Amino acid sequence: MYYPEPISKLVDSFTKLPGIGPKTAVRLAFFVINMKDDDVLEFANSLVNAKRELTHCSVCGHITDQDPCSICQDDTRNQSVICVVQDPKDVIAMEKMKEFNGKYHVLHGAISPMDGIGPEDINVPDLLNRLKDEEVEELILATNPNIEGEATAMYISRLVKPSGIRTTRIAHGLPVGGDLEYADEVTLSKALEGRRDL
Amino acid sequence: MHIQQLKLKNYRNYGDLDLSFDDKVNLIIGENAQGKTNLMEAIYVLAFSKSHRTPREKELIQWEQEYAKIEGRITKRNQNFPLEIIISTKGKKAKLNRIEQKRLSDYIGALNVVMFAPEDLTLVKGPPQIRRRFIDMELGQIQPRYIYHLGQYQKVLKQRNHLLKQMQRNVKTDPTMLNVLTDQLIEHAATLLERRFVFLELLRKWARPIHHGISRELEELEIKYHATIEVSEDANKEKIETIYLSKFNEIQEKEIERGTTLIGPHRDDLIFFVNNKDVQTFGSQGQQRTTALSIKLAEIDLIYNEVGEYPILLLDDVLSELDDYRQSHLLNTIQGKVQTFVSTTSVDGINHETLKKAELFRVNSGTVVT
Repeated sequence: MYYPEPISKLVDSFTKLPGIGPKTAVRLAFFVINMKDDDVLEFANSLVNAKRELTHCSVCGHITDQDPCSICQDDTRNQSVICVVQDPKDVIAMEKMKEFNGKYHVLHGAISPMDGIGPEDINVPDLLNRLKDEEVEELILATNPNIEGEATAMYISRLVKPSGIRTTRIAHGLPVGGDLEYADEVTLSKALEGRRDL
Repeated sequence: MHIQQLKLKNYRNYGDLDLSFDDKVNLIIGENAQGKTNLMEAIYVLAFSKSHRTPREKELIQWEQEYAKIEGRITKRNQNFPLEIIISTKGKKAKLNRIEQKRLSDYIGALNVVMFAPEDLTLVKGPPQIRRRFIDMELGQIQPRYIYHLGQYQKVLKQRNHLLKQMQRNVKTDPTMLNVLTDQLIEHAATLLERRFVFLELLRKWARPIHHGISRELEELEIKYHATIEVSEDANKEKIETIYLSKFNEIQEKEIERGTTLIGPHRDDLIFFVNNKDVQTFGSQGQQRTTALSIKLAEIDLIYNEVGEYPILLLDDVLSELDDYRQSHLLNTIQGKVQTFVSTTSVDGINHETLKKAELFRVNSGTVVT
């Protein structure tokens, strides 16, 4: 490719983003060149600031610009329930729901021996310390419903069970508002397993 | 069910092919290395989304092409629908009714195929993985949910083996994680075993009378499932889980020492007996052939009873491997009811009504003339 160096550097940077291939990267790079100077500056600042000012909350591991994060600092929330999730994006999904009033713990991953990720590589030790220090009555395990997420939930529940803290696992089954006939077999049979009395 | 039409694009030695088939017997004739097996393989891939000959899918794409496409029009229960497999250097797509199916278990089972090729004669005398593959493929096509459990089992197995390796080298010492993975493994292992037992009972039911017939009523076939645990075949899932659990507890130290999972469906086997003798060890070549043939023919009836339609039968170059008596037994079984594809280098010496009525296809280096 015969691009001047500043452009090829910019293209390289864009390619590092998820979902962006070489062609899109070139398009974006040329778009940036034609943007107003102020907009470009603001864009660059936002990038740098997002990285510089955000840290992980020392209590729950969620991304935050103040430590501890706003959720951990909020005294009106139920202190006795902690919801364990894999990813900061999961916290945001839960918060959008506006139904859950407890606290969170973000693991940043799931246990996967294949990828060399053990319990100590995700935020599990911090969680165990929290359970010792705080008065927690229930731990909701909301890891993803796949093999690694399931194994992580089972692992945590085994460590925590002896302490007498109630551990629960979120249900999986049919999406609300969906049609039964369009559900795949696996989901349907999970939904059947998790049926309850009315 | 049957295939009305098959289209190939950049598939092995076929650049562009469009064939319509007879719903009874289709005879594919050609010299060696002209593309007879490739044609059979294409139908197999259309059913299972993978080849019986190679795990490397890129081999299916014609030399210097970007992608290969197999398209079939299937008639099943008076319905007519297209199936499509597209293999490119980036990956594979399976389409049912023009809609891409992300899960293999949503695709497999749409088209049922029974293939009998020379390498199937090794079903009896070959290594155990050939027999495990046989159970998995055949069970999978009548019960797509089995494929899901098999996939899950293999994933957990991989995780567990990695952990055992780490524990072997003392990188990890925490037994809790191992117990979690053991529980996960057992859940899927028990499901697989329970379903395999049911399948085996069906296979016995259909294979025994066929074997009796082919052997001129001289031989009795028995099939035994050899599991890595002591369990009776009528045990339910909970019972199987309990047995696995106690066995896993018993061998835990040994598994850590060896750094791998030592028991489970991935190490099971089938044993065939003829007149109470193990065919693999003590059977003659002829008995091994008869057994393989009986098992394959049993599948036709088995699928008919489970699915409600006869599968498509692919006989790739096997007629020449069978003697006259077995040949005519085979051809009598399929007569009129099963859409069959027979590939052979020549029809000389095969005088059977079924083949005389067959539709002829002559294959010559990537082209087919009817």
